[in-house]
Amino acid sequence: MAESVRIQQTSVNAEEDRILRFWTPIMLRSIVVVAMAVLITGLVLTATVAPNYFVQRYRQIQLGHLLGRESLAGIWSNIVAGQPHAVLTVGLFMLTLVPLARVAFCLVLFIKMRDIAYVGFTAYVFAALIIGFLLGHIG
Amino acid sequence: MFEILSGLLLLAISAGFVGAISGLGGGVFIVPTLVVAAGMPMRIAVGASLISVVATSAGASVAFVRDGWTNLKVAMVLECATVTGAIGGAYLAGLVPTYVLEGLFALMMIQSAYFSLMKHDETPLAKGGVIARRLRLAGEIPDESGDLQHYEVINVRYGAPLMLVAGVMSGLLGIGSGALKVLAMDQVMHIPLKVSSATSNLMIGVTAGAGALVFLSRGDISTTIAAPVALGVTVGALAGSRVLPLLRVQYLRTGFAAILILIALEMGWRALNGI
Repeated sequence: MAESVRIQQTSVNAEEDRILRFWTPIMLRSIVVVAMAVLITGLVLTATVAPNYFVQRYRQIQLGHLLGRESLAGIWSNIVAGQPHAVLTVGLFMLTLVPLARVAFCLVLFIKMRDIAYVGFTAYVFAALIIGFLLGHIG
Repeated sequence: MFEILSGLLLLAISAGFVGAISGLGGGVFIVPTLVVAAGMPMRIAVGASLISVVATSAGASVAFVRDGWTNLKVAMVLECATVTGAIGGAYLAGLVPTYVLEGLFALMMIQSAYFSLMKHDETPLAKGGVIARRLRLAGEIPDESGDLQHYEVINVRYGAPLMLVAGVMSGLLGIGSGALKVLAMDQVMHIPLKVSSATSNLMIGVTAGAGALVFLSRGDISTTIAAPVALGVTVGALAGSRVLPLLRVQYLRTGFAAILILIALEMGWRALNGI
């Protein structure tokens, strides 16, 4: 009985490992490539449309003057208005999605495989990432 | 604008390149570079660095995960500690004075320098600890002849608190804390060095991502700085990882340790002047 449970557990382990090793690199690479393309687009737009704004912001930041937090609605209206600064913000947000996407994928996989311990670990990390985002709004 | 943008990109590419060939990550070099060479406030440098670390970790992890060097289970267990620490650290970074951050940065550089020079025991363990066995953390890696060699893991309960500290440092200072993570896995949990490095690489992304989310939502990540820096560090790290197999890194270790000590002295000096 104990031996059959052990064999079953080993095969679940190997299947989880195989799925994770196949999909994790694809996910990581795709999000980073898309985010980098967005950042390059944003920088080219900045250089062509608003070079003075970039220099002005750079000087202000050196003196410690920050813009402060932006609401998602504000970012969206800036994108619609075609502001290069908003395109750069989207690229940076996409990069922070890399770990979130990986952890969310693992969570779904472990739920599907009924691997309770690892559902707990990944759910904790996923919840902590969301709490971190909310904490930044408070602090 | 061209001079500023190309200057930022050049600094970031250099930091990413040196970070990749030294194995210490771009964050260790980008924060002091932005503070000292570009005259950026520490908080902005830390925010920009955290975003870059997420990108470089993802890029570097691809091959390690695909080829089986990363222990995914160890990463998931220990990420609970590193992410908790990183969120706490990133939150504190908005409250503590800059000289404290600079002082801590200097200490972390000394730890990294020590780590890059220390010797490592490569004998795999035959019997794992109770927690490690229950969580199925053991793994296999190919040895020199290409045969799979089994390794066990011990001391999860001692490794986890070290990971919490690594997470706090990452969130506070914008670095991946890879040297501390590898030290905990290699020396305390007895995981083979290459597996420790590969696993640390993957964990660094989630750790820095947790810190970056706090910084981003607080408005402490400036797109003007973070965007070119993230792009440059990623390109530099990619170039570094391509050049790495052609270099005899063991001969460069002393040089990297010397650079880290110089950074530690500069940041320590700034901390003392800020008190």
